[in-house]
Parts: sequence; C-alpha cells; structure tokens
Amino acid sequence: MLLEIERITKTYRSPLRRGPGTRANADVSLSVDAGQVYGLLGHNGAGKTTLVNQVVGLIRPDAGTIRVAGRDAVADPSFARQACSLQPQAQLPIDGLTPRQAIELVGRLRGGRAADVRMRRDRLVAALDLGQWLDTDGARLSGGVKRLVSFAMAAVSPGLVVVLDEPTNDVDPVRRRLLWAEVRQLAGEGAAVLLVTHNVLEAERSVDRLAILTEGRLIAEGTPAELKTGLAADLHLELVLEPGFPPPSPAAFVARYRPNGSRAVATIPAAAAGPAVAWAEQLRRSGVIEEFSLTPATLEDVYVQLVGGPAAHSIREVRDDRAA
Amino acid sequence: MTALRSYRLLVHWQILRLKGFVPLAIVVQALFALGIVAGYPLLFPALDRQTMLFLATGAPAITLITMGLVAVPQVVSQARTQGSLEYMRTLPVPRMVFLLADLSVWLVIVLPGLVFALWVGAARFDLAFEVSLLVVPAFLLVALTSTAVGYAMACVLPPMIAVLLTQVMVVFVMLFSPLNFPSERLPGWLQSIHEVLPIEAMGEVIRGTLAGGSFPISASPFLMLAAWCAGGLGIAYLTLRRRA
Repeated sequence: MLLEIERITKTYRSPLRRGPGTRANADVSLSVDAGQVYGLLGHNGAGKTTLVNQVVGLIRPDAGTIRVAGRDAVADPSFARQACSLQPQAQLPIDGLTPRQAIELVGRLRGGRAADVRMRRDRLVAALDLGQWLDTDGARLSGGVKRLVSFAMAAVSPGLVVVLDEPTNDVDPVRRRLLWAEVRQLAGEGAAVLLVTHNVLEAERSVDRLAILTEGRLIAEGTPAELKTGLAADLHLELVLEPGFPPPSPAAFVARYRPNGSRAVATIPAAAAGPAVAWAEQLRRSGVIEEFSLTPATLEDVYVQLVGGPAAHSIREVRDDRAA
Repeated sequence: MTALRSYRLLVHWQILRLKGFVPLAIVVQALFALGIVAGYPLLFPALDRQTMLFLATGAPAITLITMGLVAVPQVVSQARTQGSLEYMRTLPVPRMVFLLADLSVWLVIVLPGLVFALWVGAARFDLAFEVSLLVVPAFLLVALTSTAVGYAMACVLPPMIAVLLTQVMVVFVMLFSPLNFPSERLPGWLQSIHEVLPIEAMGEVIRGTLAGGSFPISASPFLMLAAWCAGGLGIAYLTLRRRA
C-alpha cells in the first residue's frame, strides 16, 4: 500500500477557550494502493480536509500513524511533502502568474526536470482544454479555470500520493469529464490518488474505493458496488408534482419518502416496481403529478442514508406530519 | 533537489506574484520620502544643518522601516488569508529557503524607493553625505531586520490584528520614533521603550553610515539589530515549520 492511514485522531483546541475542543477526525483508518483512486465523501465539516492535510504534513495528528510508501509521514513531514502533491480545497490565488508559469514553477519546485515539466504541462493543458488561458494572468481567470490550473499544478510532477481536495468544484460539465479522465490517468501512471469530493454521482463512476466520513468518523468504506449492496434491490420513484399540489401520501410499499419542493422521491423495493408504476400512473391521471421516473438506487442514496441530514426524512416522520 | 535551485525558483515565483505591487511600493515610498524632506521643513521657521541631516537620513530610514513593518506584514497576512502561504508550505522546499527567498524579493522591492529617498533628501537640502564603508551592510541589516520582524508579525498574529497593527506602526514610526529628530525630544517613558525596540537603532546605523561626521556610530545598534533580526527570522521560521 502506498498510503496507509491508521487510527488517526485529531482534535482542534483553541488556546483562548477551555473545553474539549472540536473533534475533526476520530480513529480514521484507510489505505490507498498504487494505481487506485480513493474517494472521501462527507458533509461540510465532516473532517475530510483535516484528514488530507495531515497526509501532506500541514496538520499533525494527535494520535495514529500515516505511512507513505512504508515511511512514517508524521515523523518526517518533509518526506511527506516530497512524496505527496496536493490540490488544496481553497481557491489558489496565482495573481501575477500565468497558468504556464504557475504549472511549470510548481512542477520544478516539486523536483521535476525543466524539459519533462514543460512536456507534461503542455500535455495536461491540452487534455484539460486550457490552451486559450495559458498566458492569461491568474487574476483574470474564472473560478473553474483556476481550479483546473490548480489540478494541473498538483499533477505536473505528481508525488507517489496525489491528494485532490474537491477538484471538480466550479468546473464546467465538459471539462469535468476531462478532469476525471486525468485523475484516472494519474492513477494509471502508478500514483495513489486520494480525492475529496461532494459530487457523489461522479465519484461513483470514477473512484475505485471510497470512504464516507461524518463528524470525523469513518462510517462506511468499500467499492461503490460494495457500499450499494444493501440497496441494490431498491429503486427510486421520482414524482414531479403539479404546481400548487402538495406531495401525495406515500403508498404502503414505499420504504423511504423525501418530498422536496416540486418533487418527491420514494425509495421502493424492486419487487414493488409494478405496483409503484401503477400508483404513479394513477397519480398522474388524477392530476397530482406531472410526470414520474423509476431508476435504480445510486451511491448518493447510500450516502444520504448513511450520513442522514435534513434531506433524509424517514417515512415515519412524513406520515406523522400528515397525521398531525 | 538542491536548496539553491529551490531558492532560485521561489524567488522567480515571488517576483511574478509581487510584480504588480512594485510600482505601488515605489510610489508609496516616494511619497513618504517627499513628505519628510518637503513636508516636515514647513513645521520649522528655519532649518539648521543638524535638522537637515536628520530629515535627509530620516527619509531613507522611514522608507525602509515602513516597507518592512507595514507593507510586508500586510502582504504576508493577505497571503495567509487567501491560503497561498499554506499552499507554498505544501511544496517540498525547506522552510528556511522559502523564508530567505521571500525576504530577498522584499529587499529588491524596497531598493528603488530607497534610492529615491536618498537622492531627494540630498538634493532638497543640498547636502553631500559622508558615506561610510559600512553603508551597505548597515542598510542591508536595517532592511532585513524590518522585513524579518514584519514577516514574523504576520506569521504569529491573526491577519486582522496584524493589519491593524501596521496602521499603528505607520504613525509610531513617522511621528513617535527618533528618526527625524534626536531621541532626547521624546518623553522619558517613550525613550525607554525605544531603548528596547529596534527602530532607534535602525535610525542610528543609517545616520552613522551616511553622516558619520555629525553622528558618530558605535557597535551597539548593530548588535541590537542583529539580535532583532535573528529573533524575527527565528519566529518566522518556527511558525512556518509549525503543524497545526
């Protein structure tokens, strides 16, 4: 394993405030192999960025070990910086530098030979379709282009481990695909890629394994298929409501129900597909809904189910609301 | 990768990052210098040679000190707020090399304003400086100490507080530091404060190396500046190394 994170715990304590502090990571373990893209999912504040910043040596864990290629990265942060390249979560200000200069200088600061770095930079710029901004001052780049440049800075002289913290934010849908292809390419070249994202649906298609963090704890880990196992037989019935109509009461076979504005999503067992279509068709004919669609469960459903949150009402709560 | 190679690349990076700031820095320094050599004389009915020397040497001193204690902490605090300082810390570069590269760029940035301040003072009062051989190390020490202390300020203090402190610093350096006038004119308590702070020593080494005939110089301000410089560098280095 190229990256081994074992039982990492980190609590932020303010020197000005007494008390237990904020627990950002609690007993988190995971490992990423060469050639693997590993996704980290979780709400805002779940501890994802804290975890990856410990890998690159910006934050020191309170307990636990991080090994990169077998070496203790906590004890030797300068080795960690050499071995890991990072695309930070924060938008990187490169005012004064053009993408051409920023990517090349970082590539060489990471130890790359000038000619190799230039060749790789040009390949990345072409692959991400950034050519038209290559000589534009960083101050004048849009958020999405800056994000892609920041990715190229992490990928131009990649470490053994490449840490990408929300690389697809602000990126347009077409370039997002190009970006995912480059992420796979990094892994294909032998890097271990640790990737933080909120985009569960994209992650499902592009990561080999993933972990879900909530409140600093790792609550699920595995391949996308493994994580979906419990839900594999579930289907999603999405109802688009007629304007002005309240969401209909869920039918008896509905396992979970999430009304949300002009839509309502019902999770149903696969066996109930027939009755579900009949129910939805009847709602449509009676003018309660405009249309409906029936799709298999996604990783996002696993995520919402595991992490919970305001979007995940249980069917009991919805029914109780109606009773009241 | 050798430290020298990293240093060269970091200097290149910082020059590109700060190049837009350079014209602004020159204009601000020039205004400071003009304010001192053209504005301050308006306060006096007549100028004696001693006063002229104080103003002509005070102008370069103030341009150097305000860049180090005001501009540097402002720019470094901004880099901290924007996350670019933290990003640079993720690169595989020794912390000391990073710090030295950044300080070198600042030393170059302050140079044009300094030259202007020297020239405008000498021209306005029609003075010929009695330049000592120590002038280069003296100016280098003043510039390095003020930038190192400014850098340390920005590394240690929360960005908002650091920027606020730089505003206080402008008034303190311009009006309440013995750079344009002898320290005897300050109230006793402020004199005692200046015995500990490096600003008076900065003024002394600049006056002593530009006008040694009127302002004899001793080793003690050099030693004091060396101590402050080492302290500033040490604190900045330790905070850059520190892991949260």
